[in-house]
Amino acid sequence: MRAAWARWLGLGAWLAPLLFFAIVPVAVLLLRGTGAHGEAGLSWLASETGALGNTLGISAGAAVLALVLGTPLSLLLFRTDLPLRGAFTVLFTLPSAIPAFIWGMGWLSLASPRAGYLNRLLGEGAFDIYGPAGIAFVEGLSGLPLVLLAGAAALRRVDPALEEAARVCGASPVRALLTTTLPLALPSLLSGTVMVFLMAASSFGVPYLLGISASPPTRVLTTRIYELVLLGGDVGLARAAALATALLLLTPLALVATWALGSSGRVRLSAGKGMASRPFPLGRARGPALAVVGVVCGVLVLLPLGAILLTSLQRSFGAELAWRELTLAHWSGVLLEPRTLRATGRSLLLAAGAGGLVCLLGLAAAVLQRGFRRLGAGVEALAVWPYAVPGTVVALALLLAFSRDLRFILLERVAFVLALAHTPWLLLIAYAAKYLALGARNSAEALAQIDPSLAEAARVSGAGPVRAFVDAPLPLLRPALTVAFVLAFLACATEITMSVLLVPAGSEVLGTLLFELQSYADPAAAAVLACAFVALVVVGQAVLALVGRRGVEAR
Amino acid sequence: MAALTLTDVFKSYGATPVVRGLSLDVREGELVSLLGPSGCGKTTTLRMLAGLEHPDSGVIRIGGETVAGPGVRMPPERRGLGMVFQSYAVWPHRSVEQNVAYPLTLRRLPKAEVASRVKEALRWVRLEALATRRPHELSGGQLQRVALARALVAGPRVLLLDEPLSNLDAALREELRAEIATLRARLGTTMVFVTHDQGEALALSDRIAVMNRGVIEQVDAPERLYREPATPFVAGFVGGANVLPGRVRDGAFHTAQGDASFPLPPGTLGPDGPCTLVVRPEDLELGGEGTLLPLSARLFLGHAAEYRFPVGGTLLRVVGPPREVRAGEVLPVRIWKAKLFPAG
Repeated sequence: MRAAWARWLGLGAWLAPLLFFAIVPVAVLLLRGTGAHGEAGLSWLASETGALGNTLGISAGAAVLALVLGTPLSLLLFRTDLPLRGAFTVLFTLPSAIPAFIWGMGWLSLASPRAGYLNRLLGEGAFDIYGPAGIAFVEGLSGLPLVLLAGAAALRRVDPALEEAARVCGASPVRALLTTTLPLALPSLLSGTVMVFLMAASSFGVPYLLGISASPPTRVLTTRIYELVLLGGDVGLARAAALATALLLLTPLALVATWALGSSGRVRLSAGKGMASRPFPLGRARGPALAVVGVVCGVLVLLPLGAILLTSLQRSFGAELAWRELTLAHWSGVLLEPRTLRATGRSLLLAAGAGGLVCLLGLAAAVLQRGFRRLGAGVEALAVWPYAVPGTVVALALLLAFSRDLRFILLERVAFVLALAHTPWLLLIAYAAKYLALGARNSAEALAQIDPSLAEAARVSGAGPVRAFVDAPLPLLRPALTVAFVLAFLACATEITMSVLLVPAGSEVLGTLLFELQSYADPAAAAVLACAFVALVVVGQAVLALVGRRGVEAR
Repeated sequence: MAALTLTDVFKSYGATPVVRGLSLDVREGELVSLLGPSGCGKTTTLRMLAGLEHPDSGVIRIGGETVAGPGVRMPPERRGLGMVFQSYAVWPHRSVEQNVAYPLTLRRLPKAEVASRVKEALRWVRLEALATRRPHELSGGQLQRVALARALVAGPRVLLLDEPLSNLDAALREELRAEIATLRARLGTTMVFVTHDQGEALALSDRIAVMNRGVIEQVDAPERLYREPATPFVAGFVGGANVLPGRVRDGAFHTAQGDASFPLPPGTLGPDGPCTLVVRPEDLELGGEGTLLPLSARLFLGHAAEYRFPVGGTLLRVVGPPREVRAGEVLPVRIWKAKLFPAG
């Protein structure tokens, strides 16, 4: 019975930190937010209907935009013989790899009412990115990849024979596409859309950037929580907890909606082997389609990034657009400044630490999930749920739970104090908890591909349980763990939302530095840092592509 | 001396009993097959021998040493066995020779000895030329030979084979079956072979243990098993016999459904009462004064034909010389040799 005993011990060792550092804090926040502590709880919401309405409206707008753009784009990219569709796919998935805050900066450079480049070219006041519409626009664009990827997965699974059957029945190619393939892919596209809604509702950076300084200011739940936390005091924190609870309640609703859409869609898609569907020939429409997709891609993806680059090179934002006004002064100024270097060091260290924890705890979750069979689903759910919780809520929960030092007494003698408030450890915990899902999902999927007999063969050959795991499945999990590490590393190194709430005074990280430079100091310096973020993301994505290719070759 | 003993072994998964009171002795150097349909508990039995599963009760001894029993639970790595899996389980991240060397490396043998024993093991399975290849460059048959070399390289007390031929195509299966027989003759290793294919079991084994629903119905040498099945199940599974429940009355067999009766040939008479009739397809013939039955299908087999008649809730199969008959025709069927088992 030793093995069974060890299994439960493992579960306990995995569960304890998760319970202590994530589940209990969020539960306490929920209790506070609903007024179980004798505070006014959700009744605070009455005075915050504006923020709640803005969150719902902006998120809905973003979701609709992502669906409207994403549906035709996913058909064009994944179902037709559009030229350069591989390159377009990479470019159109960039928006979710780069933090939304940076896209907000890009659009601010392009379309701020007076100094924006577009307004200066097309006449002042042509565009105004401030306010609810602008926020929804930027959120919708940065959520676009969620719809595209959902569409790609669905379109790959639709049996091409269904479309061919429609052709044989007399439908034109376009009609067959629109009446068979599109309806079959729609549930997946819609579930991607729900994810965009959720992402937009939990977004903090963009509504802060484009909402707070709008006139009149546009406040959403996340930015209100931030303001209330800055306000501080019991009242501020109690109100923040109430708003966070309201925000948290959106998550299960959205997840239920996704699940319902997903399960209704799955029934109708062919579950068979991946069929190589023949791309739909565009014929004479190929040229015009390429032009349209190219322009859309240029405007939505390349233009904002170009605007940031230009801002970083201009002597001052708003200056005349001329070659002699360009300078590298901001670049050398920002990149060599000790403040930047310190923040970079801290961020990379935290991201590496969090990435390591994500891999370790994620791998443990995958192993436990397999070891416990029925309980395994619960383990997976526990590992994945923080990913769906808005960063603002995670940060606030940790802030409240660890605002005071916790004193533990062991054996009546040995006492130790857990003083996490105002330390970078709280950031590490927040990062690791939030992105644990990346480690758990990647290792669970990889482990499911590995036949248990590989480890059993090692056992029979004479290896103990640990040695057998290290020798047989672990080397095969390495690509998946590398992917999880890189994804978590990138997410943590560029994280803004949780960082601005949790970072202790005087120990900035890259995310908070970018946030401060953009909001208070100078846009040019922020633009330099944003360019560095983009470069980091591009390098990370290249590593992922390389790992992916090598993984395929090894098989 | 018994190389391996299972005594009254029970195992269930949750509420489902899988192995119910199984006892078996395997002698030194013997090859015993566990034969049965899927879900009969044969693989679970093998996994309990390997230590990958633990019996709920009962005792397992290997080479006189108790490896599983009350208070004893020896982990697989200490049992000194070799095992070949249906899925090959050749580690994809190691080369052929690294795979084969693994059990020796764990035993901390000197490098030179590891190298020479790996070489020898690869020679046994005729893979010397592929020593440095990676598993993804090999065919299924080659992979299973790597698994065989890996299982044998450290000189296991017993070699366990879990449906090792099931994932291979017919020609390869034949080839690898011969290879296993040759290796056994050369090395004299005790082997336990799990299979659902009676042809494989009959060709390879010294003795076959036929399993059904978690118990062994009969353990015997292949020929004896075929000639003298101890139970209707063994007759049906090993000999492909027709098994019909019913009763004997007035020198004739009546099906339980009452839809047909067959006069019994002399020598098969049993006492009147409920029983099970076991008759091989080739021990039935069409023609004469047989029982009239409607033909449902005729399958051409080349040297003969199989005729099927829906009777007694199953399909009665008759094998005889090919004849021009059509489905739906009513034909006389006569038993000329059969065996009766008391119902139970």
